Amino acid sequence: MTATEITTSIKDRTATLKRVFDAPAALLFEVHSTPEHMKQWWGPQQWPLTTCEMEFRTGGAFRFAMTGPGGEKGPPFGGRYLEVTPNTKIVYDNGFLDDPKQETMVVTLTFDERADGTTVLTSHTVFASVSMAEEHIGQGFADGTASSLDNLAKYLADRRR
Amino acid sequence: MSAPHVHSTELDLVFGALADATRRGILAHVARHDTASVNDLVALFDLSQPAISKHLKVLEHAGLVHRDRDGQLRPVRLNAAPMQAAASWLGQYEHHWVQRLDALAVYVAKLQRERATTTTTKPTPKKQKTTKTKKKKTTNRKDAHDRH
Repeated sequence: MTATEITTSIKDRTATLKRVFDAPAALLFEVHSTPEHMKQWWGPQQWPLTTCEMEFRTGGAFRFAMTGPGGEKGPPFGGRYLEVTPNTKIVYDNGFLDDPKQETMVVTLTFDERADGTTVLTSHTVFASVSMAEEHIGQGFADGTASSLDNLAKYLADRRR
Repeated sequence: MSAPHVHSTELDLVFGALADATRRGILAHVARHDTASVNDLVALFDLSQPAISKHLKVLEHAGLVHRDRDGQLRPVRLNAAPMQAAASWLGQYEHHWVQRLDALAVYVAKLQRERATTTTTKPTPKKQKTTKTKKKKTTNRKDAHDRH
């Protein structure tokens, strides 16, 4: 499995992930273009996409929501497609829809097909603010804090069983 | 975007509650013993009853513990869900993106396989299976060197 290359900068409010796919750009673009495809892979395993409405064109809106393992409904989120260029680029903004004060992030996906038929997919996210970047990227909490919290959560959850 | 989704306000409450060592201690104690009374906690942490009550209110407000409504002692119980949400929320952005790209790779590979088999007759250029069974006649095959 190809590794994902990750670069983040809280100062610049960015997170960039890069990955090589053994597939043509057209196919990678296609699976981003309809709810039928998106529902197959976009949500985390435990939280599949259950609401997926999308007007897949530049200026079109989208609205997503996920459902958790216990049937709990995640809040809806979405935004607009700022740019849709077939087989090449998708740009969208994204935020929670039920909270107007929520900040949004802008995600740029680029599909770069190489001569050997593989495609480099780059996902570049710009967060609205440094604090939002800090929250999402998580470094603001320092590794130790994050992992010890994780351990504590695990410990507490185990004790419940 | 990432999940599980927790509103910032809830997260703020959880992280705020966890920022204090005494409150983390109370949580750990409650987790170990399933339940605890205010008196237990007063004795354990050597704090005044109002001080413990104040900490409990913060934990309760964050949804980390709940207290039985009936009974004079109003025992404290753990509610671990917000903690788990908070912990998994930390740094999950990267995690979910990586997971999502993995899922994308799997899905795309599956589609490619499916489409390769439905568009029959044409041999797929890349993934040609070399079967061990003897081929009697493969007239149209280009890779004639495959045959013995």
